[in-house]
Amino acid sequence: MSGFLARRLMQGLVSIVGASVIIFLISRMSGDPILILLPNDAPPSLIEETRRNLGLDLPLWTQYFIFAKNALVGDFGNSYRWEMPALDLILDRLPATVELAIFGLLFSVAIAVPVGVMSAVHRGGWIDRIGRVFAMLGQAMPAFWVGLLLILVFAIHLNWLPAFGRGTPSHIILPAIALGWYPVAAQTRIVRSAMLDVLDSDHIRLSRALGTPERLIVWKYALRNAAVPLLTMLGVYFAAMLGGAFVVETIFAWPGVGRTVVEAVFSRDFPVVQAGVLFTSILFVLSNLLVDISYGVVDPRIRDAR
Amino acid sequence: MMQWITGIAAISLAALPLASLPAPALAQAPKPATGTLTIGFGAEATMMDPTRSAAGVDQYYFGQMFEQLTRTDPSLKPINWLAESWTLRQEEGKPVIEVKLRPGVTFHNGDPLTSADFEFAVKRQSNPKISRWTHLLAAVEAFEVIDDLNFRIRFKEGDGSFTAGNLILWAVPKTHLEKVGDEEFARNPVGTGPWKFVSRTVKDELRLEAYDGYWNKEHRPTVKNLVVKVIPEDLTRVAAFKTGAIDWIDAVPPAMVEEFKTLPGVQTGSFVTPNNMYIAMDAIGEKSPFRDVRVRQALAHAIDVDAIIKRVLFGQGERYVQVGKGSIGYDPDLKPYSYDPKKARQLLTEAGFPRGFEVPCYNLTTPREPYQKEVGEAYFAYATSVGIRCKVVGMEYGNWITFGRRDRQGHIDGLYSNMWGHGLPGDPGTPWAGHMHSYVPGQGWGVTSVHNDPELDEMVRELKRTMDLAARDALIKKIARVKHERVAGGLPTYRPVATFAWRDHVTFKPWPSPGFWRGMQEIGLKQ
Repeated sequence: MSGFLARRLMQGLVSIVGASVIIFLISRMSGDPILILLPNDAPPSLIEETRRNLGLDLPLWTQYFIFAKNALVGDFGNSYRWEMPALDLILDRLPATVELAIFGLLFSVAIAVPVGVMSAVHRGGWIDRIGRVFAMLGQAMPAFWVGLLLILVFAIHLNWLPAFGRGTPSHIILPAIALGWYPVAAQTRIVRSAMLDVLDSDHIRLSRALGTPERLIVWKYALRNAAVPLLTMLGVYFAAMLGGAFVVETIFAWPGVGRTVVEAVFSRDFPVVQAGVLFTSILFVLSNLLVDISYGVVDPRIRDAR
Repeated sequence: MMQWITGIAAISLAALPLASLPAPALAQAPKPATGTLTIGFGAEATMMDPTRSAAGVDQYYFGQMFEQLTRTDPSLKPINWLAESWTLRQEEGKPVIEVKLRPGVTFHNGDPLTSADFEFAVKRQSNPKISRWTHLLAAVEAFEVIDDLNFRIRFKEGDGSFTAGNLILWAVPKTHLEKVGDEEFARNPVGTGPWKFVSRTVKDELRLEAYDGYWNKEHRPTVKNLVVKVIPEDLTRVAAFKTGAIDWIDAVPPAMVEEFKTLPGVQTGSFVTPNNMYIAMDAIGEKSPFRDVRVRQALAHAIDVDAIIKRVLFGQGERYVQVGKGSIGYDPDLKPYSYDPKKARQLLTEAGFPRGFEVPCYNLTTPREPYQKEVGEAYFAYATSVGIRCKVVGMEYGNWITFGRRDRQGHIDGLYSNMWGHGLPGDPGTPWAGHMHSYVPGQGWGVTSVHNDPELDEMVRELKRTMDLAARDALIKKIARVKHERVAGGLPTYRPVATFAWRDHVTFKPWPSPGFWRGMQEIGLKQ
């Protein structure tokens, strides 16, 4: 197990370094931040002075070397626009994004697992049909549309929940639903098909023959086996939510890292983009690592095989 | 040639369109402010230090806490503010501005405002490691402190942008700033304005408190606490207002303005903003059809700007002809080109393009002003309908904003949906120097220009040197007429209108600057 984890960690490190190179190069190919930073009537001398101050006059490889060396000790430089450490800007916002992604994931799992299980148990019946329609609807409704719909219904018309911001527990409900809505469909399908496979297996037939209550068979024995493919996907979904929370963060004025990074892309604020993407990469690698570890917890055969 | 003021006789303020504040402003005893108001802005500042500010939107925020020597009142009339009076005169052929500061002004930390603070402001703004606006002080030769309340600024040469830009400088507390340093000052700003800083959570909110020691006893907030929420998404901001989470809303989406006007218990106000939208045309490319003034005039006749304002912008725009209403040099007699597609085709035929021509048309696809993408598409559809066949090219913001710069390689070809901004009420001198004056590498002239007209170049240079506001007014009117006739430096179209809404229990009198009508100088709760 430890050898496996070490290998996965190494692969993760390579991925992070690769991501840092790619984002460094792509951000610099996207345009000159100086022309965005300075007013139109700024004279050439000020343009050159600013370029020198930001270290953008150096050769590209030198810039990368400095970036990589400083990044190792947690220094991503100052944001060009905010004139504060880029890392602080990202780390201050990261908890909000992680919180949103966790609750989004919890919402999607809380819906997908029971709907998927019930669809599999009542295969071909009306519950299954409703479940499939529900799953299709989820895939057909993008997060920005769900978000606006939720605001319209629960904030404006019913006035039950706040429309924006972060603070009380009630603030997380609508953004988490908006973020978690889309993956519900795919997760429901994964659970349903995994459950169908497991429910057809020999050990479940044996359990039924032994008179084990159906509720126990479905929700304990079958679901535990069916959870492995879902767990695989959860890591990917969690990472996707971290990186893709931008839309939901904007709609709900959620002070997260996604909004910060996307705005930094528009303003060519390289230090913030680099810090944001690198941290998202690290979280992506960590979440996948956690998934690998969780396989062993759920399925002892996997643990023993490793 | 130059409308230049000669001699050493001082020009009294009475000769300039500036007025002092009425006496009651300083005399009336203020009622203690109480209560809390929450307002929602659509955009967020990056920097709270006015000297280090990087974007126009920063003024929405730091403009509540910091002040300048002069400003414009709600009727767009220039008035003295931290300056009790100021004079402009000539000494040995060089301009000199002498300022008398208003006595009794204090910073939020209790320090009195003195000439030394402005001397410090000049030094700070002249340092390119601190400020991105050093060029605004390039013409300043010397700053002389006369005494605590009087100082003198000597110029190497005339710089009209100085007088047109509220004398440029922002009051910052020298002693405090030297003690705490730039970083701490940006985190905990201290100004002389009506609001003092309490806290800020980036991407979330700014908390301010009415400054009890504020010098202006008449024009001041009557509510104790102000919470500024950052809500970039239009519908969310609207929802926040409708659910009562905020009491005042910035930038009601144009499509919802009519609905807001009918909401019970809600007041609205619509104000022209300082961005001047226009269509840039390549009038310098060797083979560009827009070199011919008839083609430029054809474009001017081809586009129904009024219809675009009515249908695309839901009326949330004001047409302007070279200079917006209320700005220095506004000429009510200058009329826009009529919408006349027949005449447009005729002009194209006369110019040698009876079958029209194909041209790239660059459009911004990320929102900066409401519905800007749709407005650009409408421009280009109108142009295509008379034979200026647009191949529309969409551009995201970062690409779009640098695309027109002449200090990159090449220059734009075809048409380009663009804008130029200035303060309120505003002065077109600096923008014209950037996009109408021909490009002069390394000298700052024509940095976004695709036009070349030596006569206009000379007039723009003269405008740059002219510091007297009355002389600027006359010269701008003269340039505007020539510019209009030659469709030089692009085709002006409209200025966006921003609508704010607030609840009946809120009293709000918008000030145009700083913050482009978002100055919370006079906001409060009804008693």
